[in-house]
Parts: sequence; C-alpha cells; structure tokens
Amino acid sequence: MKSLSALRGAAMAALFAVTSLLSLPAAAESAYEAPLPAEINSDPDLCKHVPCAEVVPGADSFSPRKGKPAYVEAYRSEGGQKTLVGYAFLSTDIVDIPAYSGKPVITLIGMDTKGIITGTKILRHSEPILLLGIPESVLTKFIKQYLGKYVGDKIEIGKAREGEAMIGLDAITGATVTVIAQNQVIMRSGVAIARQVGILKVEPKPQIKFAAVNDTLSWAQLVDEGSVRRLTVQPEQLGMPRAAEPYVDMQYGYLNTPSVGRSILGDNGYQSLMTQLKPGEHAIFIISNGSDSFKGSGFVRGGIFDRVQVGQDMDAYTFRDLDYLNLWGVKAAGAPAYKESAIFIIRDPGFSAAYPWNLVFLANKRDRETGHRDFVSFSDEYWVPARYIEGGRPKVVKPDAPWLKVWKARAVEIGLFVALLVAVATVYANRDALTRRSTRKNKWPVNAFKYTFWIISIGFVGFGMLAQPSITQVLTWFHSLLFKWQWELFLTDPFIFLFWIFIILTTFVWGRGLFCGWMCPFGSLSELIYKVAGAIGLKRFQFALPMKWHNRLKWIKYAVFFGLLAVSVFSMGLAEMLAEVEPFKTTFLVGMFNRAWPYTLFVAVLLGLSIFIERPFCKYLCPLGASLAMPSTFRWFGLKRKQECNTCKACAVGCGSLAIDEHGRIDHRECMHCLDCMVLYTDEHACPPLAQERKRRTKAGLPLTPIGKDGYYIPIKPVPAAKA
Amino acid sequence: MIDPRSMTEPVTPPYVGGGALAHIGAEIWDHLWPWSRSGFQRQRAIQAAGLALALAATLVWVLAALGNNLTPGAIIGWWFGWSVFEVVVRLGSKPYVKEGPWWGQRYRKASVMDMICYVGFKNLLIGATLFIGLKSLGLLVI
Ligand code: SF4
Ligand code: SF4
Repeated sequence: MKSLSALRGAAMAALFAVTSLLSLPAAAESAYEAPLPAEINSDPDLCKHVPCAEVVPGADSFSPRKGKPAYVEAYRSEGGQKTLVGYAFLSTDIVDIPAYSGKPVITLIGMDTKGIITGTKILRHSEPILLLGIPESVLTKFIKQYLGKYVGDKIEIGKAREGEAMIGLDAITGATVTVIAQNQVIMRSGVAIARQVGILKVEPKPQIKFAAVNDTLSWAQLVDEGSVRRLTVQPEQLGMPRAAEPYVDMQYGYLNTPSVGRSILGDNGYQSLMTQLKPGEHAIFIISNGSDSFKGSGFVRGGIFDRVQVGQDMDAYTFRDLDYLNLWGVKAAGAPAYKESAIFIIRDPGFSAAYPWNLVFLANKRDRETGHRDFVSFSDEYWVPARYIEGGRPKVVKPDAPWLKVWKARAVEIGLFVALLVAVATVYANRDALTRRSTRKNKWPVNAFKYTFWIISIGFVGFGMLAQPSITQVLTWFHSLLFKWQWELFLTDPFIFLFWIFIILTTFVWGRGLFCGWMCPFGSLSELIYKVAGAIGLKRFQFALPMKWHNRLKWIKYAVFFGLLAVSVFSMGLAEMLAEVEPFKTTFLVGMFNRAWPYTLFVAVLLGLSIFIERPFCKYLCPLGASLAMPSTFRWFGLKRKQECNTCKACAVGCGSLAIDEHGRIDHRECMHCLDCMVLYTDEHACPPLAQERKRRTKAGLPLTPIGKDGYYIPIKPVPAAKA
Repeated sequence: MIDPRSMTEPVTPPYVGGGALAHIGAEIWDHLWPWSRSGFQRQRAIQAAGLALALAATLVWVLAALGNNLTPGAIIGWWFGWSVFEVVVRLGSKPYVKEGPWWGQRYRKASVMDMICYVGFKNLLIGATLFIGLKSLGLLVI
C-alpha cells in the first residue's frame, strides 16, 4: 500500500515538474548555460564569435586577439582611415574567478582609449538564482552600472562610505555572491588590459632596502627560511588523468637578495647578474620538473612566455624573450636536479620585492563533461624573509576576503540573528515549563513565544534578511562535496550559513519540527495565515484532509525531494529550475509581484489554500521539509506519550499536523512541534487519565501531588512514621 | 496492546545486554554489515543478486584505488543502487532501527520508510567519508 502511494506520489511530482517546466517564461533566450562556440577561447578572431561591436559602440572593425592577457583593438573607419576607439576583451581570458555556481560568468567587456568602460555583456553564466529567481534583466541592469566608469577607480558593491575614495554599486538582493564575483571580474579584467595598453600607469612602490646580511646557504636552508618556494600543479588539477609525475613542479626564488643570489648563482654569477640589472629591476629564478614545460611549447623567439607570470596586488608582470636569461646552474649545496630552468627579469617600477608577490602558473583546464578548455591559474605567495629587509617586513594590510566584508558589514544583523536562534533553542529546551503553565483553553505561555518567533521569522528573517533556507542549498552541498568544497561560497551568505548550523543541530536533537514549526519563514507565514483566518471567523471553512488521504499524499514531498536529488546529479541547472516547486524565491527573495505570473499564481494558490488547510505546502510538497524529516526519524529527544494515548484520541484530534496516528503514536517526521499535545499531556482537566485520577483523589480527600515526567501524578507512597 | 510511546513495536536486537564496549562494537558491526544469518536463509534470491552486486561494487572501488578515475555519476549511481539493495536486505535480516539518542539502547521495528531514512543517512555519511578520503588521497579526481 505504502509503495503504491509512493508511486502515486512520484507520478504527481513528475507531473508537477513538467507543468512548472512548461511555465518557464522564455528561458531559452537567457545566457544561462548558453552554448558558446568552443573556439571562443582560442580563435584569434574573437569578434567572429562574440558581439564586440555591442560593447564598443561606434567600432566597426576589430584586430585579432593580441597581448597577454588577450584583448582586441576596436577601430572605427572614417574616410578610409581607421582610428582606434577602444578595446574589447573576454573576462575568462584574463581572470578565473568563479561565481556562486563555481563556474565563471563569461563576460565581454568594452573600454575606450581613456579607460572608460563602454559596454558589458554577459555571454554565459551558470548562476541558478539568475536563471529564474531573479530575472536576468536585473543582472543586465547591474552590469550597466559600470558604463561610463573609469577602470582605475575603486568600485565596490555597497554604499560608498564617507571619506572613502570608492564608488558604490547597488547590489542585487539575493545574489550577493554573484555580484561580488562579477565586480571582481570586471574590475580586474579592466585594470589588466588598461595597464597593458598603457592607459593605467603603475604607481611606483617603495623599493626594498636590503639589510646587511651576506651568508651563503644550502638549498635546504633556503627552502626552510622561505627564500626558495615551490609551486606544483598536478595533471588532475587540469582535468587530465592522474599520473605519478606532476604536470609542473617549480621551485623559485628572488635573486636580488644578496644571500639568495650568492647561494644560487655563486659570487661571480650574482655580481654579473646585478651589473646587468638596472636600478629598480628584479630577477627571479625558476627550476622545474614535471611532465610539461613552464616555458610553454608555443613559445617562439620574440613572443611572450605565456605560462608564467608574477602577480602583485592587481598587477601582473609577464615576461618576453628580452626578460629571459639562462640559468647556468644552481650552486647551493643539495640543490635538486631539474629539467628546465630560467631567470626572468621584472622591469616594472610598480613591482617591489619588499611586499608579497605571487608566482602564477597559467594553464587551460579541460572540462571533463564538455571538453571545453577553461583558463585557470595557480599561484604561490613569495615574500622576502624579514631578516633580509632593513627594518623587517613592512606592514601590509590585505583587503578582507569578500565573505569577511559581508560579515563585517552586517555584523549587527548577524548578532541579532544569532541571538534569535539561541533564544528559540533555549525556549524550546525549556518547553516543559511552558506547557505545564498552559492548559487546553489557554495556550498563551507557549504560543506567545511561538507567534513572536513566527513574526520575527517572517518579517526579519524572511523579508528582511532573505534568509529562507531552501532545498537548492542541500543540492549545492552535494555538488560541492563532489566537485569543489569552498567554504567561502557558504560563508558569503552569513544568515543562511548560521541558519543551517541551527537546522542541523536542532534536527539532530529534537527533529525538524523546531525549524519547520517555529522558524521557517514560509512555514510560519503559511500557518500564521491559517491562524489569523481562523481567528477572524473563517474557522468553519477550515478543514484537514481525512487521515487516509493525508497518509497517501504526505509521501509526495519525499518523491519531490528524491526527484530533485536525482535530477541534480545529471543537471544542477535543471534541478534548480525544478526547485521552483518551493515558493520561497517568489515570496521572499524576489517578491510576489516581480515575477512572471505563473510563479505569483503558484504562491497565491499555496497561501490561499493555507487559509483553509493548515500548512498544505509543508505537509505535502516541501522537498526541504522532506529532506529534514528523514533524519528526524533519529532525533534524540522526542515528545512524550502515555499508554492511555492508545485509546484516547484527545491529542490526535487536536494535532494540526496530523502527526498522531490511530494508536496515539507520534510520527516525528510530520510533527511541527506545536506542543499542543504536550500541553494536554500535563493538563489535569483535559488529559483523561489525569482528570480521572484528579477526581478520584479529590473524592478520597487525597492531596494532588505534582505531575511527574511520565505525565502522571507522582504516586502517594505512605512513608512509615519516623520513630520519635 | 500497542504502546504509543514507540512509533513501532520495540525490538531487542540479539546483541543487546552485553558490556558497553561489546555493545558499541556490535553496533558498529551492525551499521556496516546488513546481513544476518536468519535473514540470509529467507532471502536467498536477493542474496545471490546481492553477492553479485557486492562483487561489482568492490571491483569498482578496487579500480578506483588503483588509480582509475571514477565519474561522479558512476559513484552516485553505485551509491544509490547499493542503498536500495541494502534497504531490502535489512528489512529481511535486521529489521530494526534505533529509537532516541545514539547512546541509548532502545530499538524498534523498522517500517520501510524508517529503513530508507536509516540506510540513506548512514550511507550518506559513509559515502561522504570514503569520498573525501579518496579525494584527499588523490585517488578520485573529478
Ligand atoms: S515543510 Fe518546508 S515550508 Fe514548511 S516549514 Fe518546513 S521547510 Fe518550511
Ligand atoms: S500536536 Fe501534533 S504537531 Fe503538535 S506537537 Fe503534538 S504531535 Fe507534534
């Protein structure tokens, strides 16, 4: 019977999925997972594949890709004359910053010859929230904010603060991670190209002053003190089959430091190198093993070394053939054997060895599914050890990680939210005190708390902080577990992050009822509507489905959950789309009236039904509820029952969740922790076994002892009279 | 008479009653080993299928350990297939689940849904551990 109803549930879920899929408005036109030609990453004629003219208005012809990182020049022809009017570049040629989905948002950016951004176009993204949740027009509007902005300015998401030289952009509510990533992408790409074409001049940094240290070290000592560091890339990191040998295994160091230079090159070698360098120039050495070359096989004389560069802050320093010298050998005792070596010279005054810098290895990663090649970079930080710098290392304030910025910016709200979660758990942990004070006629000691939490969760948590947990987060975890676990990803939304800690802990301890019944914004909204409707006189229209039907329909939500899980294995995008079965996005994240009508209608129907049926969505459809219900089977502490509950139906009749079966047993997967049955449990007028005993004792003139944990009066045991 | 304090009838697995350490050992064994002798007798056909499945699963893990990369789809497929099988086996051989906190010693008869929840959740934990382990050892590359 059960399997039959489960089957029916699955069928209904499928039907539901199909209808929701059909109602997707024009999803095909969006940039979501838009197919892009494979050549887009490699074809010299970039503009054959992408609409360059859209981002550099007025341009009518474009050069092939040039430079490292690559860009194209945009020209306007007038009377047979071609004038350079700007540049167009593809974000993924320059940076590899993943957005929320873990994949980059491929953006085409245009800039004029003065460094003003003239156009931005999203060619492809994999952001679930922007697929349907938030119309793509919002993202387009967001990136339009960059038009007319100078790439050299400090542009950040959020309000510009007094006294800070920064331009603030309006974020997209509900898609913080995406816009933070997108801001980095646009700004970094812009700066990189502007530097390369000479629009942005580097500001010279104070150069390093070496302390008078002049010893000769062995290789092991150099490695120990951090003067020689290592950057290894394994083939599997590039989507290639695993192999015993790394792809490249580079060891490198900064040669200007006298001790390091002398130890590596010997006295004469060091002297001769230093005489070749002009003031303000720097030399690094690299030795490497591994199956491939760090110099790149495509390197030809006159070209650029396209696999290694040095990065510092926002700047990248690439090497041309003129910046290359032979490394004739490593003198340091105990130096390893190597296949390949080089000395590279950095000639830019923007570089300073007094500050940390990175050795960056650039490569292409093959996507195993699609065979597409994506640009990736690997880097390792180098900082000259303090003992070589006069006065030690200068103080460096690293900008906070994006997620940390979010936490700092919203510290107050985060504090309040944590306090709320702790309060809810504390109140529930002390539920006994509340239920004992309540009676069937007066449940206010419990309800005052519960209703307060509902209102806070709807207003503050739901509409205010947009912190409605969702099944998509569960699916995202599964995926992160499989592909790439990034704490940053989860930390960027502090409220959801903290909420999930609460949910996991309380589900283990008490079951899902505490979250679902007390804290879920949508669940609370739904039940609040039911309660209000009852209070304003609609009670006679309110009903619950017959137990028989409830017991069949309740399986649908599990089918929805497993369906989503299965689909997500094949396509996360499709799963996210189907997750629209949750009305959360429409209700809280985007707003009822900002979405296409089918979504608004769906929410309206669910909330409308809530007037007549208690929590219809929670009982029958919610995949999140289902995913939490399953571990609730093993909650540590359940609700209490007496043997008499077997025949007495008082609680069962009152259970709005229909969680009590005909034998008086509570199904903790369905229970919403409303505590009505726990109020009855100690109500000496309403719980029949207690009432009986109360009457008996009153008649017999016996005292009414307190009610024990087992829900009965503590038995009166005659104590033998103490001897005088 | 049905006891409303327990969702299904209380059951006592054979190992209950030993010392604390023996009990923990028996429980771990119980989590890892779905079969029991009595169940085995009753479900011969299923067991034969299961043996084949177990062999195939072992083979896949051995291959993985030898450095052949597994695709995520294959792993999840195996995980799912195994879990379904384990639910069926356990319903025949060890048809009980724990009630209340994990440190307690109360057990009850498992309904189909209880068993799905138990096996699904347990295998999720085991799977995640194996998966993260293999990944950090570099044996599994996605
Ligand atoms: S069942 Fe879903 S909507 Fe209802 S309270 Fe639980 S998580 Fe919220
Ligand atoms: S009345 Fe029903 S929903 Fe409320 S606490 Fe009891 S079993 Fe749970």
